[in-house]
Amino acid sequence: MQIRRGKRSGAPTLDEVDAGIIDILRQNGRATNQEIAERMGVTPSTVSARLKRLDESKAMRVVAVSDFAAHDYNILIAVGVKVHGRDSKAVAEDLAALPEVFSVSLMSGPYDLEMLVVLREFDEIRLFLIDHVAAIPGVSALNPGIAADIVKFEFNVAPL
Amino acid sequence: MIAPRLDDLDRKIVAALGLDARVSNRQIAADLGVTEGTIRTRLKRLQQEGLVQFTVVTDFRMAGSPNLVMMGIHADPGRVSALAEDLSAIEEIGCVIVLLGRYNLMAMGLFKSVEQVDDLIRARIKTLPGVRDVEVSTAIHSFKYDVRMARITRPKPLDD
Repeated sequence: MQIRRGKRSGAPTLDEVDAGIIDILRQNGRATNQEIAERMGVTPSTVSARLKRLDESKAMRVVAVSDFAAHDYNILIAVGVKVHGRDSKAVAEDLAALPEVFSVSLMSGPYDLEMLVVLREFDEIRLFLIDHVAAIPGVSALNPGIAADIVKFEFNVAPL
Repeated sequence: MIAPRLDDLDRKIVAALGLDARVSNRQIAADLGVTEGTIRTRLKRLQQEGLVQFTVVTDFRMAGSPNLVMMGIHADPGRVSALAEDLSAIEEIGCVIVLLGRYNLMAMGLFKSVEQVDDLIRARIKTLPGVRDVEVSTAIHSFKYDVRMARITRPKPLDD
């Protein structure tokens, strides 16, 4: 059984050359077209054309990922949010507008919404949860957990 | 208070590469009014310190439109560190966080079917020594997710 239906059409297909280019970029996203071409045994213009096509189809992106610490975000909290008397989607949109919210998703589970929040100092937890989040209409319960250690964090698939 | 680990120029360089890390050093140098060598040196330092990484992010559609599944794991306190390692070793799990408060560990992954989720939790997580209970929650929709920020747990070796 598929968890989610729909949105399945329109995914571009990749051939071996595309897959090879993506593989090299996974190792080194800043490899030049010339370097990729040499390793693949194709011309730099082929690499350039393929990358342009992949970019236009929004199949993938080469991104610069910076560590939370680079932004002085020393605290990560995972917060379950229960919603009452208001559409959870509207609450999610209000939460998404807060800059401290790193991710927010509509869930099927014990909580209506789950969010990951990044903060700089411990005092900001109270400010964020009690002054900002609790003030959003519809928020009926909050269950925060503080990250003591991020052991693995590899998300190479995302909505682009 | 720890001093910021990125200065103004570092931040501008990272922002310039954000959602398109294929921009050349020459282009960034011209846009920011500094030399190409400065850009190269800065990027090398940021990568070596594990503050910035360049990687390929694939769109949800290319991966078969999977759903994010969150697993809240209640475990024996003495087994938490060992379990964090065990869970990290599971390929399908993209994120493992040692959590204080809600449960002992939070694990997340992207899955295409409920059978796949069941197999993982029933046969491979609940069988791990020290796991007492697993709370499962499935994302229906993601409202916000910033691919440009993460915890870089394993900096990639530099080519040059």
